[in-house]
Amino acid sequence: MTAPGDARSRRAAVSAIVISTLAIGGGYASAFVGGGAPPWGGWLFAAGVTGVLVATLALGALRRDATLGRLALPFALTAVMIGAGFVAVFALPDTGASEPLLFGLPRRAAIVLYGIGLFPTLVLPVAYALTFEAQTLREADLARLRAMTRATQAADEGAG
Amino acid sequence: MPRIASPLIIVVALLYFAGVVAISVWSARRTRTTRDFFVAGRGIGLVALTVASVSASVSGFIFIGGPGLLYRVGLGALWIVLPASLTNVLGAWVLAKRMRLLGEVRGAMTVPDAIGARYRSPAAQGIAAVAILIAVVGYMATNCLAMGYVVDAIFGVGMGWGIWIGIGITLAYSVAGGILAGVYNDVFQGTLMAVASVLVFGYVLRVNGGMSGISHAIMPVAPAFLGPWGTMTPIAALSFFFVFGMGALGQPQSVHKYYMLKDPLQLKWYPLLKTLGLILVLLLYFGVGVGVKALVATGRMAPLSVADEATPRFLLGFTPVLLAALVFSGIAAATMSAINGFINIGAAAVTHDIPVALGRTLVDELRWGRVATVVIAIAAALVARYSGTMVAFLGIFGWGLFASTLVPSLAFGLNWEGATREGAIASMATGLTVTVTFETLAYFKAYSFPSGVTVSGLSLVLSILAFFTVSGLTRRAAPGQLDPDVRAVMEL
Repeated sequence: MTAPGDARSRRAAVSAIVISTLAIGGGYASAFVGGGAPPWGGWLFAAGVTGVLVATLALGALRRDATLGRLALPFALTAVMIGAGFVAVFALPDTGASEPLLFGLPRRAAIVLYGIGLFPTLVLPVAYALTFEAQTLREADLARLRAMTRATQAADEGAG
Repeated sequence: MPRIASPLIIVVALLYFAGVVAISVWSARRTRTTRDFFVAGRGIGLVALTVASVSASVSGFIFIGGPGLLYRVGLGALWIVLPASLTNVLGAWVLAKRMRLLGEVRGAMTVPDAIGARYRSPAAQGIAAVAILIAVVGYMATNCLAMGYVVDAIFGVGMGWGIWIGIGITLAYSVAGGILAGVYNDVFQGTLMAVASVLVFGYVLRVNGGMSGISHAIMPVAPAFLGPWGTMTPIAALSFFFVFGMGALGQPQSVHKYYMLKDPLQLKWYPLLKTLGLILVLLLYFGVGVGVKALVATGRMAPLSVADEATPRFLLGFTPVLLAALVFSGIAAATMSAINGFINIGAAAVTHDIPVALGRTLVDELRWGRVATVVIAIAAALVARYSGTMVAFLGIFGWGLFASTLVPSLAFGLNWEGATREGAIASMATGLTVTVTFETLAYFKAYSFPSGVTVSGLSLVLSILAFFTVSGLTRRAAPGQLDPDVRAVMEL
């Protein structure tokens, strides 16, 4: 039987993927409106793409015997950082040639490159490595799977 | 692309190709079985796999088309590569462990193998193989054309001969050494490209006075260029982020490499190393795109008549000729490596997946794999040579088809026990139908979506929704479609 905590997390991740994909579909649909996509189309798309990426990460990281555990924090941090990056990019005024520079780039471009582009690199692959044995794969998992495979093969050969 | 032939560039290119041939001969001696040919005998170590995987993730587009696109539309083109910070770790959590373990318990060697095992469905495996085969020929034709341009630019042999010389070298190592030759050639050229990319980025910063110098040069003349979406609409830029982020989970040339890792426990450091490697290689994409725009804005370079000339013009005008020679040879090698990967996947679809779907197995799969390799390569070269503007259409079509047909059934299917084979088949059929129909209508100018809506993005959305909707409607069948060993892999 699947552990209840894991089943709930999995259902939540799948629901988030479906809702986020619908939001992206809504963003695309807004572009069909005459006169170009309204501003809410971009907001909807940004929310959807953040949701679908983080929910897919969570779905992939879930094991049968555990919830997200320590991974919940880096996933939440990534979602907040990407989401906040989109909010800032949409909400900050476009001041054209007079936009202040941040790390050598106009402010909004810097938020995109460093916040949405580079920040997850500092968090997620490190979280993956640090939680690998606890959350992803252990020697004992491999030994159990290999023993099961050998037993199945022996049974098949016996039946054959 | 301008002619770049000079004695030093030709010598470096010849040395580069000699290196490729040497690696191929060595690999051919180690290729004895079908498993060696298609998944390198599951014997590749972490560092080699990481560098090869970085190399396989980039093609000529990253060095020529990408910087050109960035020069043309500004930072909107950055949204194509921004997902790189997420895609490697996404692939690691969602696919790497489960595919590698399916390789172990089921002997799976291909992406359709994983789909067939997951749903206990030869039909699903067959549909995935057909979609892959169609997309592979399109993708390869685009890369053959890019290779023809580069070989012609270096050696001045003409476009037609450029394609045939390039495909000849690629075929020689693909037929002889299979994916093993491809992997070690990828290691060779991936290392060189990472070093060259960092050096080129250094020259971009030096000639423009750093990032601030670039921004100060561009902002007065083209402020939108350095805006968050460049000159594109927000939805068009975000569509890139979605398609290249989620779509990466359906690119067989990348995800197929998970089968090759010697020890699954080595996956621990794989996403970190690959992401860092990819960022180094992508410095050229970003640097040349904005750097050339700054040079044009300050009058130090004439405006480009063709955006794809951004990289060659920068290399020839602002870097030492030896570095330019290394990058040009690397671009040729990158397209060859991309073609090698696609040939291998296409050959596996023909000689392994489609026969399995039809309930047959070939007697000598290795020999037929080599025959299929030659046939597919020649077909792609002919398409590239004689289809004119159709080639660009086929490249776009290939990417979108991989994403919309494989992401739901493979990435979600291997992680969600509620998925059903009916859902998987419905999503693959939706992806195939929507992509073929709307890309064809757009190609013949009969109908195209409004600005910002891409066929690949919309078909990915529709195939995901079809997958979950049909799986939900047929959910009672789900438990009976999972074999115990596959369930064990999914539960880890």
